[in-house]
Amino acid sequence: MSFLEEFEKTLACRCRQNEPPFCQAACPFHLDIKGLEEKWKKSRFNAAYRTYQNAVGFPGIVAKLCDRPCEKACIRAKIDSSVAIGLLEDATVRYAKRKTPNAYNLPSKGRKVAVIGGGLSGLGCALRLCNKKYEVTIFEAENYLGGRARSRMDAAEFDKEIENQFQFETLDRRMGERVSSLDSVLKEFEAVYVATGEKGEMFGLKPSDEGAFATTTPGVFTGGAVLGRNDMEALADGLDASLAIERYLKTGGMNEPFRKKGTLLEMNTSLIERKEAVLPAAGAYFTEEEAAQEIARCEKCSCDACMKACDLMRLHEKTPRRIWEEVYITIHPGTLSRDGTWATRLITTCDQCGLCKAVCPQHIDFGEFFLQSHRAMHNKGAMPWPFHDFWLRDMEFSSGPAKVCRRPEGVERSSYAFFPGCQLSASDARYVTKTYEWILSKQSDTAVWMTCCGAPVEWAADEKKHGEYLEKLKKEWRELGSPTVIFACPNCRKQFEQYLPDIPGVFLSEVMEEWGIERQSPESEAEFSDTYAVFDPCSSRDFPELQQSVRRLADSLGICRESLPYEGEKARCCGYGGHIGIAAPAYTKRVAYERSAESSLPYLTYCVNCRESFAGQEKDAVHFLDIIFGINGNKRHLSTVTERRQRRMEAKRWLLENCWHETVEEEVHMNLLVEKELERKLSESQILVSDMEQVIEHCEKENCGSLDPETGHVTGHLKIQNITYWAEYEKISDDSFRLWNGYSHRMNLEGE
Amino acid sequence: MPRIDGGGRDQTIKAAFEKKAVCRRCNVEMIPKKTFFDYLGHNFHTEILCCPECGEVYIPEKLVKGRMAEVEQELEDK
Repeated sequence: MSFLEEFEKTLACRCRQNEPPFCQAACPFHLDIKGLEEKWKKSRFNAAYRTYQNAVGFPGIVAKLCDRPCEKACIRAKIDSSVAIGLLEDATVRYAKRKTPNAYNLPSKGRKVAVIGGGLSGLGCALRLCNKKYEVTIFEAENYLGGRARSRMDAAEFDKEIENQFQFETLDRRMGERVSSLDSVLKEFEAVYVATGEKGEMFGLKPSDEGAFATTTPGVFTGGAVLGRNDMEALADGLDASLAIERYLKTGGMNEPFRKKGTLLEMNTSLIERKEAVLPAAGAYFTEEEAAQEIARCEKCSCDACMKACDLMRLHEKTPRRIWEEVYITIHPGTLSRDGTWATRLITTCDQCGLCKAVCPQHIDFGEFFLQSHRAMHNKGAMPWPFHDFWLRDMEFSSGPAKVCRRPEGVERSSYAFFPGCQLSASDARYVTKTYEWILSKQSDTAVWMTCCGAPVEWAADEKKHGEYLEKLKKEWRELGSPTVIFACPNCRKQFEQYLPDIPGVFLSEVMEEWGIERQSPESEAEFSDTYAVFDPCSSRDFPELQQSVRRLADSLGICRESLPYEGEKARCCGYGGHIGIAAPAYTKRVAYERSAESSLPYLTYCVNCRESFAGQEKDAVHFLDIIFGINGNKRHLSTVTERRQRRMEAKRWLLENCWHETVEEEVHMNLLVEKELERKLSESQILVSDMEQVIEHCEKENCGSLDPETGHVTGHLKIQNITYWAEYEKISDDSFRLWNGYSHRMNLEGE
Repeated sequence: MPRIDGGGRDQTIKAAFEKKAVCRRCNVEMIPKKTFFDYLGHNFHTEILCCPECGEVYIPEKLVKGRMAEVEQELEDK
C-alpha cells in the first residue's frame, strides 16, 4: 500500500473532522444545529423554520414535546450551562412568519402505501411519503390522529399543526378502523408501515437485521412506540422509515442502511471560555434578540484542532481531506494539462514543525505525509529545483569551505564535541567562538564540529543525498573519538536524534546548567530587558528536558520570564523551518509576523534561526548566548546572506588561529563598493555579493554587457550554476567598482 | 505555452524597451529581438533588447521581477 493510500485510510478511520457535534448526535432527528446557528444568529427565523421543518416534520409539535436530549449532550453543560436549544426551537416556531409548507404540483406516483397507526410515527412516515406523491392511506383505530403524543399538549394546537403540514397533500384517512390482519392490507397496498404505538399490534411481525425498519415480511416495515421508542424517537422513526419504504418501492430491497449513531468527536473543554446563559425576560420564551444572544454561546463543536493550530492549514483554509485530495492529484495527475498539479507549492510549504501531530487527538501526522509527498515529487523530478537550490548550495558551503571538524591538539579521543550547526556562526561568529572558549575552560578535550546537520537535504526531500550525508557525519564523529555531541541548535539536535540515534547528544543549555555558568560579560553594552517571553522553537517540541533547561538557565541568569500561548509541546514555527521561504515567501512572512505579535514582550530564543526570523520582523529578541556572553542586544538587523557566509568563515578563522595556531588566508575579494541597503535588497533574493563579483569579473574579462548612455553604468549577466545573475555597476578605477543594482532569474536564456 | 509578454495583458514588457542600451563590446544600440528561454522543461520566447552584431542581451530589473517572475511561478505551479 502506498503512503497515499495509507494516509487516506488513516483519515477515513481516525480523522474526526466530519464527526457530528454532540447535540446533533444526541438528537433523534439529527437536526443540523450548527447549520441553524448561522440563521438564528441573524434572526432569520423563516429560513431556520424551513431547516427545522425538513428535519422534524411537525415543528409546532416537536418544539413543544421534545425533551431536548441535545441540551444534555451540549459541551457547555460541562462548563457553564447548555445552550438553550429548546427555547431556540420554540423561538423558531414563534417568530417564523412563513409556516405554510411548500406545495409541489407533481403527478401522483401511483404507488399505494398503508400506514397502520395514526400516531406521530405513522404521521411522520405518511407526511414524507405524501410529499413525494405516493398514495398513502392511514389506518387509525381512534377517531383522532396523534395517539399518545396528542394527550401531552393542547389538542387543538396539535390538530392544527397536523392539518397545516398536510394541507397540500392527499391523505386517505381511515379513522376508527382497526386493522386485524395484514393479509387484506397487503392485497391492496404495495408497502406497509406498522406503527401501532405503545403495546400495539405487531401482527406476528419479526424485525429483520437486513435493513433499517425492515421486518422479515417483504414490503412491511415497522417503527415507533411499538418498538419501545418515546414520542420524538417514534416520529424520527416514521420520517426515516419513509426512506426505507421508498427504497423498497424503487428497488424491491429491504436494506435501507441503519443510521450511524453517536459521535466520535472529542473536545478539549479546557480551551472553552465561560459564557453565561441568556435568561429569557419573559420567563418561558426568548425574544428575537435574546435568541441571537443565546446562540452566540454555541461552540459549533467540531474537531478542527489541526486547522486551528497549523499555520499551513489555517492560512490556506484546507481541511485534512482536502489536503489529501490535492496532494493525491498532484502526485498522480490525471491530465497533462496544467490543472493537474495543484499542491506542488503546498507540499513544499509544510515547515515540518510537527504541531499537527501534537494537537490532533488522534495524533495524525501531516508533516510526515507532506515529507513523503515531497520525496515522491522529488523522485519523479517534479519538484521545481529553485525551492531548495539556495539552501543546498548553502549546505555545500557550511559542510565544505566553512567546516571545522577537529580535536584539540594532542587529544586522541574527545569526550565531547561542540556542534554549533551551520547557522549559529552565520548569525554571529562570537556565538561559536565565545561558547567554545567557555567549553574548553570546563572540558579541555572537547572537539569542535562545525558543519551542517543535513537538514537542508532532508527538507529538500532528497533521500539519497541525505543518506550519503548521514554516513559522512557518522564517519566524522568516529574520527573525533565518538564523543557526546553538545548541540547549540535544537534542529540539529532533532535531526541527530531522528537519523543518527546512536550518537549521544545533549543541548548546550543542559551542559551550561550542569557545569555552571554565569553572565560572562556583565559589563557588556548590549541592551537587554529584565523580562522576556520564552519562545520555544518547533524543533524542541519532543525535548521537554531541553525546554526546561533553558528556562532554568534563564532563571539562574536572573531573567524574569513569561509564557507564550503556544509553547512546550505546542511550540509553533517561526517561519524558518523547512526552508520554505523561497517557495512561499508571503506565507513565511505572515507566519513570522504572527509569531512576533503573540506577545509584546521581547522574546528569549534558543534557536538562532528563530532569533533571525524575529530580527527580520524588527521584533525585540535575544538568543540566550547573547545574554550569557553579552553579544547582541534586543535590537538587531536581519543578517544578509553575504554576512552569513562571511561570519562562518570568520568563526573558522578564529578557531583555527586560536585553537590550532594555523593562519588562514583571507579570501581575496575585488574592490567592490556595495551600500548596506543594496546588500539587504540582494539578500531578499538570496543574492550574495560574491555572486555580483563573479558577474563583474566575467563582464570585465570578456568586455561584455550593455552600457546605459545616460548613467554610464554597465549591466551584465552571468549564469552561475542554475541561476542567471545581473549586475549593474560602475567602474571607479582600474580595479575598483561600485555596485548599483543586482537581480536574478531562474529561467534560462537559450544557449547559456 | 505561457508568453513572457503576457499575451498583451502585462505592461512590464514595455519596460524592456524603456531604457536605451548600448552594447559595450560593439558600441551599437541594442534593438528588440526575439529571444528564447527555457525553464523546468518548457520553452518560450519574447522580444528583448539584443546587440544586432554580437547578440549580447539586456533585461531590465522591471521585467525580471515583473512578468518573468510571474511566468516562473506559473511554471513552478504547473
